[in-house]
Amino acid sequence: MICIQQVSKTFDQGRSFAVQEVDLEVGAGEFVVLLGESGCGKTTLLKMINRLVEPSRGRILVEERDVCRVNPVVLRRGIGYVFQGVGLFPHMTVAENVAVVPRLLNWEPSACRDRVDELLRLTGLSPRTHRDRKPHELSGGQRQRVGLARALAARPRIMLMDEPFGALDPMTRDGLQREFKRLQQTLNLTVVMVTHDMTEALLLADRIAVMKRGILVGTGSPGQVLRSPSHPYIAALMETPRRQADQVESILRSGGEGK
Amino acid sequence: MTETALAEQLRLLPEYLGHHLSLTLVALFSGIAVCLPLAVLVTRVKPLQWPVLTVASVAQTIPGLALLALMVPLLGQIGFLPAFIALLLYSMLPILRNTVTGILGVAPDILEAAEGLGMTSGQRLFRVELPLAAPVIIAGIRTATVWVVGSATLSTPVGATSLGNYIFSGLQTQNSTAVLVGCAAAAVLAIALDQLIRLGELAVAGRSRTKGWLAGAGLLFILLSTLILQIPTAKGSAVVVVGAKPFTEQYVLAEALTQRLTQAGLQVENRSSMGSMILFDALTAGHVDCYVDYSGTIWANVMKRQDLPPRADLLEEMKDWLQREHQVLVLGALGFENNYGLAVARHKAEALKLASIQDLTRHAPQMTIGSDFEFFVRPEWTALREAYRLDFREKRTFDPSLMYAAAREGVVDVISAYTTDGRIIEYDLAVLTDPLQALPPYDAVLVLSPAAARRTELVSALEVFDGIIDDGTMRAANKRVDVDGESPAQAARFLLEAVGLSSPAQGRERSDS
Ligand SMILES: Nc1ncnc2c1ncn2[C@@H]1O[C@H](COP(=O)(O)OP(=O)(O)O)[C@@H](O)[C@H]1O
Ligand SMILES: [Mg+2]
Repeated sequence: MICIQQVSKTFDQGRSFAVQEVDLEVGAGEFVVLLGESGCGKTTLLKMINRLVEPSRGRILVEERDVCRVNPVVLRRGIGYVFQGVGLFPHMTVAENVAVVPRLLNWEPSACRDRVDELLRLTGLSPRTHRDRKPHELSGGQRQRVGLARALAARPRIMLMDEPFGALDPMTRDGLQREFKRLQQTLNLTVVMVTHDMTEALLLADRIAVMKRGILVGTGSPGQVLRSPSHPYIAALMETPRRQADQVESILRSGGEGK
Repeated sequence: MTETALAEQLRLLPEYLGHHLSLTLVALFSGIAVCLPLAVLVTRVKPLQWPVLTVASVAQTIPGLALLALMVPLLGQIGFLPAFIALLLYSMLPILRNTVTGILGVAPDILEAAEGLGMTSGQRLFRVELPLAAPVIIAGIRTATVWVVGSATLSTPVGATSLGNYIFSGLQTQNSTAVLVGCAAAAVLAIALDQLIRLGELAVAGRSRTKGWLAGAGLLFILLSTLILQIPTAKGSAVVVVGAKPFTEQYVLAEALTQRLTQAGLQVENRSSMGSMILFDALTAGHVDCYVDYSGTIWANVMKRQDLPPRADLLEEMKDWLQREHQVLVLGALGFENNYGLAVARHKAEALKLASIQDLTRHAPQMTIGSDFEFFVRPEWTALREAYRLDFREKRTFDPSLMYAAAREGVVDVISAYTTDGRIIEYDLAVLTDPLQALPPYDAVLVLSPAAARRTELVSALEVFDGIIDDGTMRAANKRVDVDGESPAQAARFLLEAVGLSSPAQGRERSDS
């Protein structure tokens, strides 16, 4: 579905690389999480997939076609994108925000309306109360839901998501994560999601790709990266969730008494 | 400020307001039509930004009156076009700057979202950038509106009728009613247009139908009234355009010519308060058909002559020259001169037995002379001093309106006066004669454009003015405006009656147009 071949990106004529010689293949219906510390090049790699950033070297194929050889506008309308800062249009209502891509694709107004209501319900918002609100009248979590609904609106088969659950409190985040995972499975979406949250990666991903300073240090299923990390950096990263899990487990075993 | 004075001014309102509105609206709409695309271009092509905004800023720093006056020689025309171009330039900076600021102020993550969702750059502009920049752009348009409505009052001196006609003629004739009406009308118009735009903005932002209808109705009302107010002034080519320089005597004479021509059945348009040099150029170009000028002015400023032949010779030579060089017809000398002269309080003149400037030479070392800001640096003053060997104890300068009173109060002993100024009568001053003819003659002459000179009905209506107004009559007519507070139209009726050119009934029937 997505095939990243020897891709590098430099913003300063080769003095440093935000992304360096990355090879990564994402199969149809696969959920891949890009994991790494902030500044390691995850967002840059994600943006190269829908050509918001042009690769300096290498090639990216989406559905067998080189992204640099197709019309970027058409390419982007076919890929759902959830932005790191959500990026809702402040002058549009929730409904207008969600319907942006369907309108660009000239859907019938009634079809747009129905799709908006469907998506708001799907992402846990009430069409009646939220449809006509402006983004500034929503909570941070509600805005992220609208961002997700907007990305899903035109029924893309590929979703690129940049820290989509970042601004949510743990309870809401957990709920939305699980809803999204179910949705991904029912719709058989191909997803590339960026996060720096190890637990999130372990819970959602089919495969985790770990990046460090622009380099892809290794990939593996959540089980593989936890049990037999292929790189010392991955092992170090997994220390944190593992320790937390152990602590939680010991609390459970001791019947909830002390630490 | 009587009720009739106000009523008289208000009668002029439809014409002035109509012209003012059409000038303002055409300039503003053109400004928006030019600036919005230009601003968008500038945000796309960064290297253009600095030069475009700099040019617009420079146009803004030129004082409004100077910008308007500059347009006349640049375009070689007076009236609507130079006023329109100058106002257009004036409206550009706020619209350009705010549009550029508004578009560049859209947050980068919003723009990236628009791009990432698959908008083309045109869709990004119309669906995201312009709507988000709209409040800033509209603020710029509102600023431009207020500026243009205000600056449009300055288009009067370049020959475009506007609410400025009230202000310029009112200031010159000390008619505070006219000035107030002009300022109030311009202020009300500026506020009305500004609020209308605001209403439109609120209607769009709040998606309010009612406000939208209200704003639409307001705009329609203003457009319709502009059209309707224009109808009575949309006259044919047979209209006679009468010009006037910006001071009382000229307003009175222009009104007198207008009334005379109207009695003769001609359509007349009065272009008051035009700059002195603009007026002569407008005459030769045929934008103005007739006005009254002064022989000494044409001699020095148009013919650029420095010698000073006797009065009658100068007049003859000027007539021939105007006919030869510009096909301008001097229909006649009206009979009076509006000279620079020296005036003394009458009781003082009698006590010291002063009749001519020559009599002053002896007393000058004990006397103070007062004048306006200009006189002491003019060649007339040098000529006088040398011819009569005048050596005053002290020189003082005054605003012209205070100078005459200063002579009467004895603050100064002698003043330089315009010989037909009405305040010479009011303050009981004596004008001293100039036996050595040191001062150039300023015979009032009625000049006709080449086209007007060929129109027999026009020539026969105006040739009666030849030689019929003497200094005293002109001074009395001027006094009615400057001292008694009459309007130039009223003073013109008095003038025509005094020289036997109008039956009272005919005179009252018409007022002004
Ligand atoms: N438009 C850009 N211009 C210059 N440098 C950039 C740009 N975008 C990202 N970078 C740099 O590239 C590196 C990777 O950034 P990014 O992909 O945003 O990291 P992450 O999403 O993993 O936090 C950082 O050092 C960042 O400063
Ligand atoms: Mg990032």
